[in-house]
Amino acid sequence: MDELLLPAQRLFGAAWPTVWTLAKIIAITVPLILCVAYLTLVERKVIGWMQVRIGPNRVGPLGLLQPFADVFKLIFKEIVVPTGASRTLFFVAPVLSIGPALAAWAVIPFDDGLVLANVNAGLLYILAMTSVGVYGVILAGWASNSKYAFLGCLRSAAQIVSYEIAMGFALVGVLMAASSLNISDIVRNQSGGLSHWYIWPLFPLFVVYLVSGIAETNRHPFDVAEGESEIVAGFHVEYSGVAFAVFFLAEYMNMILISALASIMFLGGWLSPWPTIPDGLPWLLLKMCAVLFIFLWIRATFPRYRYDQIMRLGWKVFIPITLVWIVFLGAMMQTRWAYLFH
Amino acid sequence: MLQLYFPVLLFILVGIGLGLIMLALGSLVSPNRPDPEKLSPYECGFEAFEDARMKFDVRYYLIAILFILFDLEIAFLFPWAVVLPEIGIFGFWSMMIFLAILIVGFIYEWKKGALEWE
Amino acid sequence: MTAQTVIFYAFAAILVFAALRVITSRNPVHSALWLVLSFFSSAGVWMLLHAEFLAIALVLVYVGAVMVLFLFVVMMLDVNFDKMREGFRGYIPVGATVGLLILVEMALVLIGGYLPAGATPSPGQTGPGYSNTSALGRQIYTDYAFPFEIAAVILLVAIIAAIALTHRTRRETKYQNPNEQVKVSRADRLRIIDMPLEKKE
Repeated sequence: MDELLLPAQRLFGAAWPTVWTLAKIIAITVPLILCVAYLTLVERKVIGWMQVRIGPNRVGPLGLLQPFADVFKLIFKEIVVPTGASRTLFFVAPVLSIGPALAAWAVIPFDDGLVLANVNAGLLYILAMTSVGVYGVILAGWASNSKYAFLGCLRSAAQIVSYEIAMGFALVGVLMAASSLNISDIVRNQSGGLSHWYIWPLFPLFVVYLVSGIAETNRHPFDVAEGESEIVAGFHVEYSGVAFAVFFLAEYMNMILISALASIMFLGGWLSPWPTIPDGLPWLLLKMCAVLFIFLWIRATFPRYRYDQIMRLGWKVFIPITLVWIVFLGAMMQTRWAYLFH
Repeated sequence: MLQLYFPVLLFILVGIGLGLIMLALGSLVSPNRPDPEKLSPYECGFEAFEDARMKFDVRYYLIAILFILFDLEIAFLFPWAVVLPEIGIFGFWSMMIFLAILIVGFIYEWKKGALEWE
Repeated sequence: MTAQTVIFYAFAAILVFAALRVITSRNPVHSALWLVLSFFSSAGVWMLLHAEFLAIALVLVYVGAVMVLFLFVVMMLDVNFDKMREGFRGYIPVGATVGLLILVEMALVLIGGYLPAGATPSPGQTGPGYSNTSALGRQIYTDYAFPFEIAAVILLVAIIAAIALTHRTRRETKYQNPNEQVKVSRADRLRIIDMPLEKKE
C-alpha cells in the first residue's frame, strides 16, 4: 500500500500529509452522503410496508433511483429568500448545521485502527460538536423572520438542549465503565463477546441515550418542532431547494451518527458477538442498521408527544434516571463487584 | 497529540466547505424568478401583520440558563468518570458531595415548578 | 515557520478580527455570532497549547451553552434599539471613566505578570498514552477537592437565583399532572348514592 502511494507522495511533496488526510475525509464523507440518500429511501419503504403500502417504486427498479431523483429535483428548485429575512444569516444557518454534523465523524472508529483521528478526548469532542449543531436551528428560525419558523426554532432549541443533558449524563456512565475518553479504547474494553458489551451494565443509560438521540435529532415522536399539522415544518419552513437539502442532509447525518455512537458505546462497535467469529467493519454496519431500523420503527408506531410531555420526559424522567445510575455505578465500583461494571 | 487534531480541524473546514459548495451550486443552477407573493413569509391565509420576532415566554430563557448549569456539571463529571478507579474512595465521595449539592438545586427547581409546561 | 506556527497565527488573526467585530457590529445578533467565532478560535489556540480538555470544554460550555442563552436573549428580547440609542451620548462620561479604569487595571495585571516568550516551559512532548483529561481528573477531585465543592455551591446559587429571578407561576393556565391522572381511583370520580324507591301514587 505504502509503495503504491510513493509516486503520489513525491508529487505533492510537503503538502502530502494534508492531501492524504483530505483523501481520507472524502472517503468518509462520500459513503456517508450515499448512506443518507438511501436512508431516506429505506425510511419511506419501511414505513410504507409497516402501513401496508409499497412505498416509492417508480424511479428505477424497486424505486432504487428515487434518492437521485430527489436530489436533482432539489438542486434545480429555486431558493426562495423571504422578504424581511436577514440574507446573510439565512445562508449561514444551513452551513452551521451541516458543518458540525459532518465534523463529528472525524473521531468515529470504523474498525480496530481504522479511524481518521484517534484523539484522546474523542467522546468529549463528539458532545461538543453535537451541542454546536443547535446554532443552525436557532439561526434558521430567526433569520427567516417568519412566525412559524420562529416558533419552531424556539421549541426545537429548548428541546435539543434539554435532551443534551440527559445524553451527556448517559455518556458519563459509559466513561465510568470504560475509564477512557478515547472511542477506540471504549470499544476495545468491550471485547470478549456479547456478554461484555456495555448494554448490560448500562441498560437504563442505553435506553435514555437512544430516546434522547431521537429527541436531539427532532425525529418522530418528538417532532413538535416541525409538526406538519401544527407549525408546518418548524424552523426550516422558509427554506427551499438546496438550502433545505442541506438541513435535511444534516438531520440524517446526525441520525446516522447517533446510531453509530449507540453501536460503539453500548453494542461493542466493530466487535463480533462471539469471540470465535472475526471482528470487523460489517459488524458495526449491521449494528448501525439495527439501531436505524428502531428509529424508523418508532416513527411508524408512536403518535406524536405533546410539548409539555416532551419536556417532562427529558427533565423529570431521564435526568433523574441517569443521575441515579451514575451514583449507583460509582458506588458499585468501590465494592468488590466492580468487575461486573467494567 | 497535535498531529491527531489536524485531521479534526481539516474535517471541520471540509464540513463547512461542503455546505457552502452545495449552496453555491444550488444558487447557480436553480432559477430565480422572484415575485412579492412568493417572497412573503409563510402565513396561514392572511397577510403577515407584525414582525415575527416577538417576545416569548420567559421559561425558554430559564431552560437555557439551567442548561448551562447542567452542562457545567457534565463537564465536571467527564474527567471524574475517566479517573474514578485511580482516585479511589476519596475521589468518589468528593463527587458525591458535589452531586448532592447540585441535586438540592434540582429538587428546588422541581418543587418550584420551574420544569412545568402546560 | 512550522505548520503549527502558521495555524497559531491563523487562529490568532481570526480571534482578534472576530473580537473587534463583536464590539463594532451594529446588530447584536451579529455581535453574538462573532463572539461564537472568537470562542472557537481561542479553543484552537488552547489546543495548540496541548490543553485538550479545556479547549473542547470551552466549545462545549461556552459555544454550546452560554452563547445559546446569549443568542436567545439578544434575538428574542423585543428591544427597540433605535430608542435605546437616543441619549446615547449622555453616557459617554460614565462609560469613558469605567473603560479607562478597566484599562488601567488590566494594564497593571498584565505588566506585573508579563512573561517574555520562553519564560514558561513550552508544553513538552507527551507519550501516546498521555491523556490531558485524566491528568486533570487526578488533581481536581483529590488535591483540589475543596475548591471543587465550592464550585458546586456556586452552581447551586446560580440555579436558585435563575429560578427566583425568572420563574413566575401562572395560575390561570391549565395543565395536566400525569402523576395525579394515574393515581385517580374510582372513589375520586364516582359516587354511588342510595335513593329511596319511588312509589307510584
